[in-house]
Amino acid sequence: MSHSGSAAPYISAIKAAVLIQRWYRQYVARTEMRRRYTWHIFQSIEYSGEQAQIKLYNFLGYLMDNFTPSSTERNLISHIFRENDVCWDSEWERYFCYKNIEVPEVYSGPHLTFPLTVEQAVGLLEAFRNKKQLHSRYVLQLLLETWKLLRMLPNINRISTCHSKEVTICGDLHGQLEDLLLIFYKNGTPSLEKPYVFNGDFVDRGKDSIEILLILFSFMLVYPRDVYLNRGNHEDHIINLRYGFTKEVLTKYKIHGKRILKLLQKIFSWLPLATIIDQKVLVLHGGISDTTDLSILTKVNRHNYVSALRPPKRRNHSSAGMSIDIEIDDDLWSTSKIYQRRASLTYPKPLGPRECFHNRSLQDFSTRIKANMENELENSKRREVILAATLHRSQQDILSVSTDSVSSDNAKDEWRQILDLLWSDPMNQDGCVPNEVRGGGCYWGPDVTEDFLNRHNMQLIIRSHECKQEGYEFCHNRKVLTLFSASNYYDVGSNRGAYVKLGPDLVPYVVQYQASSMTRELTARQSVGRTERSALKVLREQLFAHKSDLLCAFKKFDTKNTGLVCLIDWASAVESVMHLNLPWRMLRCQLVTCKTSDGMINYYDWFNELAIKGPNTDHIDQSLLETLYRHRSTLETIFRIVDTDNSGFISMEDFRQTWKLLSVYLKMEITDEDISNLAETIDSNHDGSIDIDEFMEAFRLTDKKSRLERGRSMFMHTTSDLTKLESDPNV
Amino acid sequence: MAPKKDPKAPAKKAEPAPAPAPAPAPEPAPAPAAAPAIDLSSVKIEFSADQVDDYREAFGLFDRVGDNKVAYNQIADIMRALGQNPTNKEVSKLLGNPTPEDMANKRVEFEGFLPMFQTIINSPNKAQFEDYVEGLRVFDKEGNGTVMGAELRIVLSTLGEKMNETEIDALMAGQEDENGCINYEAFVKHIMSV
Repeated sequence: MSHSGSAAPYISAIKAAVLIQRWYRQYVARTEMRRRYTWHIFQSIEYSGEQAQIKLYNFLGYLMDNFTPSSTERNLISHIFRENDVCWDSEWERYFCYKNIEVPEVYSGPHLTFPLTVEQAVGLLEAFRNKKQLHSRYVLQLLLETWKLLRMLPNINRISTCHSKEVTICGDLHGQLEDLLLIFYKNGTPSLEKPYVFNGDFVDRGKDSIEILLILFSFMLVYPRDVYLNRGNHEDHIINLRYGFTKEVLTKYKIHGKRILKLLQKIFSWLPLATIIDQKVLVLHGGISDTTDLSILTKVNRHNYVSALRPPKRRNHSSAGMSIDIEIDDDLWSTSKIYQRRASLTYPKPLGPRECFHNRSLQDFSTRIKANMENELENSKRREVILAATLHRSQQDILSVSTDSVSSDNAKDEWRQILDLLWSDPMNQDGCVPNEVRGGGCYWGPDVTEDFLNRHNMQLIIRSHECKQEGYEFCHNRKVLTLFSASNYYDVGSNRGAYVKLGPDLVPYVVQYQASSMTRELTARQSVGRTERSALKVLREQLFAHKSDLLCAFKKFDTKNTGLVCLIDWASAVESVMHLNLPWRMLRCQLVTCKTSDGMINYYDWFNELAIKGPNTDHIDQSLLETLYRHRSTLETIFRIVDTDNSGFISMEDFRQTWKLLSVYLKMEITDEDISNLAETIDSNHDGSIDIDEFMEAFRLTDKKSRLERGRSMFMHTTSDLTKLESDPNV
Repeated sequence: MAPKKDPKAPAKKAEPAPAPAPAPAPEPAPAPAAAPAIDLSSVKIEFSADQVDDYREAFGLFDRVGDNKVAYNQIADIMRALGQNPTNKEVSKLLGNPTPEDMANKRVEFEGFLPMFQTIINSPNKAQFEDYVEGLRVFDKEGNGTVMGAELRIVLSTLGEKMNETEIDALMAGQEDENGCINYEAFVKHIMSV
């Protein structure tokens, strides 16, 4: 008895310890679960946005190829396909001309003299840190020098870690200047002793894309043999239209922005495609495929691929003088079906060999286009003069675009190689299948890595392109390393950034970091909670934007029209509409807060819960509003395409044409009356032109505080007062 | 004046402490060590269809390979994510006391997981708020509602299913007052509020 008396406190101590330990582990598991599905939400939405942009581009390409020259739509969009206005190098040099641009006395930013010195490059860093902007004269000058240098570089750079040099490799930066500054702070700026490789995606989403470019270019000019840049899929003007870089440049450089963008198009096309270190480590942005062949890649004329999304033009012309890209476009992916990728926690099942993937078929558009064409013929007469000129120039362009004659098969092959390099993602299963989620490149498996490395006698692939929570991730038996250098990418606290150091032993040494002191103050739980709320907010918006389709889907299950569906049906219906492959059951408690009786969900109540209200929109048809909201990114992109002089304004007439385009693309009816109503609401000063930003704002189509509006990623909302989080039970 | 037992007690405490070895080695305390693995085929699944779908979804989230299975070493976490809190030992027993290699490499499909989960749910060990508070009261030397943070750390890292330093730091972040004491009722409320 005395024995048990003395043992009792000990046993309770163990019990207590075990209790707490068990509880703690449960807490960790649940937090990890929340973190995973939050991540999955952001990633799904991000990838489906990329897919949407590619589809839009393909759609516009299709229009180009199918509209007659007298069509208005064609005229509106043809300019984005006219990639090289000026072709000869000497003409380019004239176009770069910065000499006429005067720098006013009041300008307080840095002044550059060439050749650039390291002090100037560092000075530029400091200036940007202090929120200064480089004058357009110097920007143009810098770009000119950069272009001259890039033209001399091979497609694949080869560097060595001779003696004791360590190479530092950085992944996606996406306009996040704070991260670049942090890297330079921790690791030192580039120098002869400190070579760097930057692995693409310098621009878009973040708000300081142009500053990042200028910094990278200037260090490259100072240390041409110690700073290497690889092209990423965002170094592409088509992508830039949607993801913020175009807008950033036009906003910061109101007078010369357009020229700067045009030059950057050229510069992007001249960026090298990959870097090889010590002949053993391959560094490239996206990845590889089962057909990647470095010997082909070494020989391509990379500058012909101004946008990786556009296959090279063939020299075959129709009698109308338009280039025919349809045959090559056959390789592009079908828009009739949306494929999804499972969570980053799970990996896609192989869908079949690449060769038998569908041809694109936009036949469902053809009837609408015909109808449109007929309407347009009536209005086209006043456009003909302009059009004739356009056509003439198009013909010239086509004839002069490329003096290298490439057989169509080779061209297709080359193009696919480059696309794969910039867009592919690794997967866990063996094989190689098309990357339908993003719409470009492929998913490649460990066997492909193994084969590739053996064939080229290499040991490691370092790539970027995918955001990782820790800033990096190994896969394929540690033969592939994903590196991502934009911390807090989806939201404050969502992920760390990382860079890699590689010495002569070629063993990667990873350094992680996280920008913004705010994140350090948040505990892990607060961080997850915050990101989770952010993700759920985005998700609710997406759900609301699909209200009509969801209603349809629910009604299919609710045959008796009770307004209720059971949980299983709710989850199926939502997934069938959203195609995001999210764990809807798990998210249900966060998404549906209206009380349900005996497990049924009242979906009308639910929609009321989700509803997003905007000002002055009562007289606008609700379903139109919903459509606008759902496709706001596409809408804004189309606006920017139509706004040919990049002024931020489009005329009423072009505005109407935009709607016609959109209605064809979305396959829905937007009547003239709808358009007039909209126009009246926006053109408040009735001067016949519409301010794009005002339009998007008028319908709350942009969250003014969202990253997209500030040029940052579309997910982050303003950082709320952290002290408020303390008492928040949801955190 | 009964002979003082206390001096012996610490000695007793120190003794078995090294005995709880890492994960699968069976321990002398509550459950019979050498008992054979539970016969899972005899477990009757009492979940509703809705519940099974919920669990299937969660299970899928943990499948990192795409083969519709999860590794042995993930089972405990899935159960915790679904609201249970088994000890690692209980889970190990369900899996037939696997070796560390087995834990990392062997996988189980959802149908195999369900009976394990049912067993855990059926087990009577459901701790409530009061149980946790009682458990911590053991360390309340002065009976004033507080425990020493330092003592708690030692206990958590040496007894039961030991926690490592990082885990303990995360758990105790911001809980200790300036004297290094923790008000344990508030602590339990805090940790249970996830």
